[in-house]
Amino acid sequence: MSAVLHAPPVTLLPWLVAAWLFGIGLYGIVTSRHYVHLIGCLGVVQASTYVLLLAVGYRWNATAPIFYSHPPGRAVDPVVQALVLTDIVIGVTVTALLLALVLQLHKRKGTLDPERVRPMQP
Amino acid sequence: MTLQQMAVLPVAIPLLSAALILATAPILPRRMPDVLAILIALCCAGLCGFLADRSAAGPIVTWFGGWTPRGGQPIGIAFVVTPAGGWIAAFIAALFAATLVFSWGFFEKTSAHFHLLMLLFMAGQIGFCLTHDLFNLFVWFELMSVAAFALTGYALRSSALSGALNFTVVNTIGAYLILAGIGLAYSRTGALDFAGIARGVSASPGDPVVVASFCLLSTGLLIKGAQVPFQFWLPDAHSVAHSPVSVIFSGAMVAIALFGIAELYWAVFASAPVVHALMHGLLLGMGTASAALGGVMALLQRHVKRLLAFSTISHAGIMLIGFALLDRQGVSGALVYLVGHGLVKGSLFMGAGILLARLGGADEIGLRGAGRQIWPAGVAIGAGGLLLAGLPLGVMDAGLERIWDAARLAGCWPAEIAICAGLVCTGAAVLRVTGRVFAGLGPVPGEEERSPTEDEREDADRPLWLMLLPVAALLVLAVPLRHDADRIGWLAAQALMAPQTNAILGMGRLHAIVPPPWRVAPHSVLPWIATAAAILVAALQLFWHRLPCPLAHGFDRFAAPALRGLSALQSGRVADYVAWLTAGLALFGVAASFG
Repeated sequence: MSAVLHAPPVTLLPWLVAAWLFGIGLYGIVTSRHYVHLIGCLGVVQASTYVLLLAVGYRWNATAPIFYSHPPGRAVDPVVQALVLTDIVIGVTVTALLLALVLQLHKRKGTLDPERVRPMQP
Repeated sequence: MTLQQMAVLPVAIPLLSAALILATAPILPRRMPDVLAILIALCCAGLCGFLADRSAAGPIVTWFGGWTPRGGQPIGIAFVVTPAGGWIAAFIAALFAATLVFSWGFFEKTSAHFHLLMLLFMAGQIGFCLTHDLFNLFVWFELMSVAAFALTGYALRSSALSGALNFTVVNTIGAYLILAGIGLAYSRTGALDFAGIARGVSASPGDPVVVASFCLLSTGLLIKGAQVPFQFWLPDAHSVAHSPVSVIFSGAMVAIALFGIAELYWAVFASAPVVHALMHGLLLGMGTASAALGGVMALLQRHVKRLLAFSTISHAGIMLIGFALLDRQGVSGALVYLVGHGLVKGSLFMGAGILLARLGGADEIGLRGAGRQIWPAGVAIGAGGLLLAGLPLGVMDAGLERIWDAARLAGCWPAEIAICAGLVCTGAAVLRVTGRVFAGLGPVPGEEERSPTEDEREDADRPLWLMLLPVAALLVLAVPLRHDADRIGWLAAQALMAPQTNAILGMGRLHAIVPPPWRVAPHSVLPWIATAAAILVAALQLFWHRLPCPLAHGFDRFAAPALRGLSALQSGRVADYVAWLTAGLALFGVAASFG
């Protein structure tokens, strides 16, 4: 068990993908001119954490960690998959809350450009 | 019921009763959710205090579902109550109780949603303080964040909504950084329990992945803790949220994020030399910058809640200095300061809430002299201002003296200067507000100085004494408990800095927490000087128009453009804030690679 857990990641690619997704998501947030688009970019940032977590738990030549019909053997790490599931739930909560806020803001201001709906200025 | 079983109750009770209150809200009598929420908060405060008191004889370890470690390998999720986390959780629950009394009858029209969110918010913070599992920590962190986002936007005014959006976007990016950090820590150590990760870290202390993990985790927590350059969301969110919500934001949420960094450092990363260097270098610098910048920005504000929000950045910076000095004296001081500042800042935000309810606004210039009828509130705000400036009375001063002493012994003069600047500026800003609003000092505002803010009046039906009661309670608590708080802080620092890693993993016995002999917090001349300077600066600002011309002119020539530049950074654009966040993250990367 611990040998599986301590095995280093096999390839660099998923780590690069995660970093790329994180960076491009941040770029999208910084340059966005519409809040719904911005929330989508936040989703891209979050996707980078999915990739990262799954890459951490991935093992070559291993099966899904379900030992219902066959004897236990080499499998990918189920812990990170549970983490990703929780991450998805949290992401959905935050996205729903953000969209609700954005909807209310649109009702009051009639625009969703982050430049034009700034909070109170001193 | 054993202590181990009881350790679950401080989060189980608010979560379950929140669900029950929501389900039964339509049939409950009108004031019932208020009463229930206050009782639940008091009950949690008592429970946490009891557990924290008992944990001095050894940390209380609860493995959920009986999944105890097998052969030293953690396989379950644990709550560990130590004097540090336990007393902070008790303080948080007590602050919630006071806030719920303050917000009695605050929301006439709405149903029990406010109480529901507050209870979830409290459960999230208590869970954050008690948990001993990194991913579980993230879940409590997110529970607390989502409740906070919803509470910020609760006012449903357009400024509150855009403030809540900025808050949500910036803090959610922080949460994903934390999650990435957790992934990296797990990839190297194969564990999520603090003790399990700590063992992996001490096996390969120089591993760059471990350092990267610490960088990501602490960036996420520093965003919540509003430290330079991650602090921009805080004034936007604090100034637009309802005042009871701001009390919790400033008094508890920001501070426990910094406590989280300290806990992670000693429970997990202390054996990595690069992390030690980061903590003692970069984080100390960030605390120093925050203490100074927050103070200067607070002086420039005229909206009282915004002013208090900037002062929170400054005092959180002082707390971070205390933790980042990595010295017993500083850590114990920071823990005490966390509680003392929470009490004082909570009462000040309640004072701002009284202004909003009674006078219909929180604009200092517009309210000149308007507070004479509610002078008891003025006394409370003035007292809060003096305590914020460092008046050597009470809990906050005990913490400050220790942090100051630690900074002095470490020869860290920039931190010393920043602490002074933070104290003087934030104290002066609050004293200036008191002088202007309650004593009518300062120049009569002209027509062009009226502020163009929207109507922010909060419900005014509540009697003044009911609103003043929790303010007085917090201020009174903040003064006489100095010695008890200091003694507990000393014990808590030992619990925080010497976690019983092996015993928690089932290898060895949990033993009592025995700190080195306790000495009374030192007394220095600094608090008197800071208080006097704060009064002087407040008077200078109030009577600026009567100063001889050359002096005022010179200041306007040289200092004013710089101050305008600082204010312009606080642009309200979420894009700018995220850009600063990226810059801060890059700073971490640079510091870690040279560390």
